[in-house]
Amino acid sequence: MNIHTYEKAWLIASMALIVGFIATVTYGAVGPGIAMIDDDGGSIDPDTINDDERFSDPGVTHVGGNEYEATVVAQAWLYTPSEITVPANSTVTFYVTSRDVTHSFTVAGTNVNTMVVPGEVSQMTVKFDEPGEYGILCNEYCGAQHHTMEGKLNVVPEDEFDLTEVSAEAPNEAQFGNETTITATVSNGMQDEIETTATLEVGDQTREQDVTVPGNGNEDVEFTVDTTELGTGDHDWTVTGDGHEDSGTLSVTDDSEGGDDDA
Amino acid sequence: MSSGTRQDDPNHVHTIDHEEYDPIGTAILIGIYFVILVLLWLFMYFVEFLGNGPTVIGVVLTVVGLT
Repeated sequence: MNIHTYEKAWLIASMALIVGFIATVTYGAVGPGIAMIDDDGGSIDPDTINDDERFSDPGVTHVGGNEYEATVVAQAWLYTPSEITVPANSTVTFYVTSRDVTHSFTVAGTNVNTMVVPGEVSQMTVKFDEPGEYGILCNEYCGAQHHTMEGKLNVVPEDEFDLTEVSAEAPNEAQFGNETTITATVSNGMQDEIETTATLEVGDQTREQDVTVPGNGNEDVEFTVDTTELGTGDHDWTVTGDGHEDSGTLSVTDDSEGGDDDA
Repeated sequence: MSSGTRQDDPNHVHTIDHEEYDPIGTAILIGIYFVILVLLWLFMYFVEFLGNGPTVIGVVLTVVGLT
């Protein structure tokens, strides 16, 4: 068969193009590790999501190193949690499931996108290199308020990220002349221990106490407050630790004065 | 003389060899289209798709669809 030179060139070039398409997609899979989302996440009973170990308290947890897990529950028409914060330079595995109908979990403007089917857990691992803010939205029509279903994904610089929480317990009232205790609890969601300083500010007094919180644990810090120094009246207090705070008000009353301060 | 007459006129019929047919202009045009196609593919995959991080990563086997 006599094939014209140009025709041969065209056949070769078009074959090279197809091979090139396949080669680049293969490179994407083997080199940067681009993956498709499959059924690896397993299944779940949508009626017992609240009892599920993973989904009963959805949010970001630290696995170790720079690996994190984020569980998200989608329902008409919101995501729980609605705002997800992860550090840059991390690998986050998302587990997303739906309570009611089919939704999607789409990080707008990126390749992070999965259907969220009730009864199934969508699992996908995402590498975040750069800090940034992304919108999360649902692109599967899920009802009248579908267009309002959105969330937020914050990728913050590594040194600004922590999973520390500070909460404090204190009595609302104390008798003048007595000592009372404000207990601050510093909890650490990271696997590595943190060292920080817990600070109590009450009235014009400031107390500081160093605290070391073990990985994935919490530590109580007790501050003893002498009400004699504070005097009677309402005193706002604030407990801070590692950039987080909790606050409240302590009322110091003096019954011996015959309740003059009673409001 | 109309064009129809010219075609039918045996004195004006010029038979060429298979390889003598040389539509070089068409070949260049298709070549340009081809280059545009390749550049668009490279841009779409390497700049728009791979460059638009974050992206979903995973195990190679599940990627290629072998499992």
